[in-house]
Amino acid sequence: MMKRKLFASLSMSVLLAGGILAGCGGSDSDNGASSEASGEKTTITLAGWGGNPTEQDLLNETLADFEEKNPDIDVKLEVIADQYMDVIKTRLIGGEGPDVFYLDAFEAPALIETGVLEPLDQYVTDEFDIEDFEKPMLEAFQQDGTTFGFPKDYSTLALFYNTKLFAEAGVEVPTTWDEFREVSKALTKDGVYGFGAAPELARLYYIAESMGGKVVDDNMASFGSEEVVQALQPFIDQHNIDKTSAQPSEVGASWGGDMFGQQRAAMVIEGNWNIPYLEETFPELEYATAEVPTINGEKGTMAFTVSYVMNAASEKKEASWRLIEYLTGKEGMETWTSKGFALPTRKSVAESLGYADDELRGPIVAGAEYATVWSNGTNLPTIMNNFNNQFVSAFLGDRPLDEALKEAEEQANSEISANQ
Amino acid sequence: MNRKYSAKALKEAGQGYFFMSPTLFVLLLFILGPILYAIFLSFHDVRLLGETAYNFVGFSNYERVFEDQRASIAIWNTFKYVIIVVPCQTALAIFLAATLNAGLKGEKFFRIIYFLPTLTSSAVLTLIFMWMYNREGLVNFGLETLGLPTYNFMGDPNIALAAIMIMNIWATAPFFMVIYLAALQDIPDSLYEAAELDGAGPIRKFFSITLPHIKPITSFVVIMGIIGTFQLFDQSYIFSGGSGGPDNSTLTVVLLIYQYAFKTMDTMGYAAALAFILAIVILVGTLLQRKLSKEENLY
Repeated sequence: MMKRKLFASLSMSVLLAGGILAGCGGSDSDNGASSEASGEKTTITLAGWGGNPTEQDLLNETLADFEEKNPDIDVKLEVIADQYMDVIKTRLIGGEGPDVFYLDAFEAPALIETGVLEPLDQYVTDEFDIEDFEKPMLEAFQQDGTTFGFPKDYSTLALFYNTKLFAEAGVEVPTTWDEFREVSKALTKDGVYGFGAAPELARLYYIAESMGGKVVDDNMASFGSEEVVQALQPFIDQHNIDKTSAQPSEVGASWGGDMFGQQRAAMVIEGNWNIPYLEETFPELEYATAEVPTINGEKGTMAFTVSYVMNAASEKKEASWRLIEYLTGKEGMETWTSKGFALPTRKSVAESLGYADDELRGPIVAGAEYATVWSNGTNLPTIMNNFNNQFVSAFLGDRPLDEALKEAEEQANSEISANQ
Repeated sequence: MNRKYSAKALKEAGQGYFFMSPTLFVLLLFILGPILYAIFLSFHDVRLLGETAYNFVGFSNYERVFEDQRASIAIWNTFKYVIIVVPCQTALAIFLAATLNAGLKGEKFFRIIYFLPTLTSSAVLTLIFMWMYNREGLVNFGLETLGLPTYNFMGDPNIALAAIMIMNIWATAPFFMVIYLAALQDIPDSLYEAAELDGAGPIRKFFSITLPHIKPITSFVVIMGIIGTFQLFDQSYIFSGGSGGPDNSTLTVVLLIYQYAFKTMDTMGYAAALAFILAIVILVGTLLQRKLSKEENLY
C-alpha cells in the first residue's frame, strides 16, 4: 500500500517537473537540427526592428530575391517590436543572438568594443566595391581601420516648411539661421508656431558644434564649454524670448512630424521618415523641403544611419556574409531603397534611383555631403541622456543654459569615469 | 516503538518534501537563485557582453551610490512619491469603502465601477492618462472651462511627477478599498447600536469604532502601499519613454536600476547594488511602520 503511494507521488513529481523543463528545452532542438555542411538548406536569422507595412514588404521582397539567388540559404526574419537594443544585447549575452542584425550607428562603437561583432574585412571582395559607400556613413561602423558593418541606408535632416502658411505670411524660405528666426516671427500666430523644435542632442549636435566647441571630446562630455553654450543659446532664445518655437508636447503633438502635419508648426527639421508619414497621415498638407539653414555661413545637418552587422558567435558565417553582401550590395540596396523610405548609402545606387533630383528628397540627399553622423565614441548614450534631461529645463526657461549644461556635463563625466 | 515512530515520521516527511519538490525546485531556481546572484553581482564589476568577466570590487558599487547625482535625484523622487501617495491612497480607500458600506442605493453597481481602474493594466492606464494629460487633452480642457490655469503635464519638470502621483492614487485606491470593505463588514452592528444609544453621531462613530477596528487592515494596506510605491517603474517608464525626463523629474529608483542594467553597458553590478539598497530601504520602511502601529488584537 505504502509503496504504491510512494510510486504515485514519485511519478506525479516527475511529471510536474518534466512539464516545467519541457518549456525551456524547446529551442535547443531546432538549433542543432540545421547543419551547414550536409547540403541541406542553411537557415540564418536576421533581426531588425519593424517599419511600416510597405517598408516590411520591401524587405521581404529583397529577402525573397536573395533566397531565389541562393537556394541553399533560408533567411528567417525576426522583427523585434520594441526595445530593440535591450533584446539584442540580452540575446547576445545568452548566446542566442541572431546571425545578422540591424545596428544603429549611435550604438555601434560600444557594441564593437565588446567584441561581439564579426570583423567583415576578410569577406569583402573587389566586386563588392567598398569605395562606392558614402564615406562618413561607413566610418561610423569602423574602428581602427576594421569594418564591422555596412550601412544599409541613411537619412539626414532637412527643413520641412508649410507652403500655404508661408504664402499667407508672405515670407521666403530661410537660408540662414538669422533669417530663420525672422521668418519664424512672421509665421507665429493663432496657435501656430514658426518652428517645431526638438530639444534633444540627436537633433542639435551640429548646431552645438557650429561655434567650434565640441560636444564629445576624447570620449568624454564637453558640451558645457562656452562655445557650445553660445551656439545653442539662439535655439533657447527663440523659444523663451521670441516665443516663436515650441516642442511637440507643448501643443499636444507626439513628435515633430505630427506637429507639422497638424499645422501647429510652420517649419520643422526632420528626416526622410517624415515624407511617407505625412503622405499617409496628412495627405492634404501642402509642404516642401529645403536644406537646413546655414549657421555662420556654414552648412550643417545630422545624418542617421543603420547597418547590417554579423554576430561573431554565429555558426553560419559564410551564409551570413552572403546575406549582408546581397543586402548592402548594389542590387539588394536598389530594391530596398526603391520606394524612397530609406536613402541608399551607395553612390551608384543613389545615382541610378535619382533621389538627388527628387523634389522632396533632394535637400535630404544634398545634406549627406556635410552632415554630422550621429555617432561618436562608446559613451555617447550616457552623454546624450544627461544632455537631453537638463537641456529641456533650459529650453523651458527654468534655468540658465550654461548652468544646466555645466551640471549635465559633470554628471555625464562622473558616470563615465565611474564605469571605467 | 520510538524508533518505529521516527522512521514513519521520516517517511512522511520525505513524502511531503517529495510532493513539494516541483515547487521547491521552482522557488530555488527562480526566486532564491536570482536573489543570491544579484547579491553576488552587486559586489562585482560585471561585464556580460563579449567576454564575460566578474571582477570583485568589494563595496565600491555601494559607495558609488553616494557620488551619483542621478541616484540621489531618483531616491528623492521616489521618497516624495511614497510620502504623498501612500497616505492619499489609504485615505481615499477608507473613504470609498465607508461610502459603499453606508447602505446607499446602487451599492453593488458602484462597487464594480470603483473597482474598474484596478482591473485595467497599468500600461494601458498610463497611455490613457497620457492622452488625457495631453496639452490639449481632457484634463486641460476641464481646467480651462473652470477658468483654472492649464499645464503641460508631460513636458514640465515641475508637474510630471505630480501627474503620475494623481494617476496612481486613482488607480490603486480601489484595490485597497475592497480590502477595507471586507473589514468594515466584519465590524459587529451591535457596537454601532450601542454607540447610538450613547448618543454618538456618524462622525464620532467613524472615528471611535470604525477606525480602531480596521487598524490591523490599515497597517497591512500601508505596508503594501509602501512596497508598491517604492517600486514605481512602469508608469514613469511609459510617461518619459524610459528616460526619466523631463529633467530627471520622473526618474525613480527602479527606473534608474533598469537604465543601469540594460541601457548603459557594463553597469550591471552597480544596478544590482542599487536594487539591493532599495530592498533594504523597503524592508526598513516596513519594519518601522509595523513598529509604529503595533498590531493589537481587538477581540
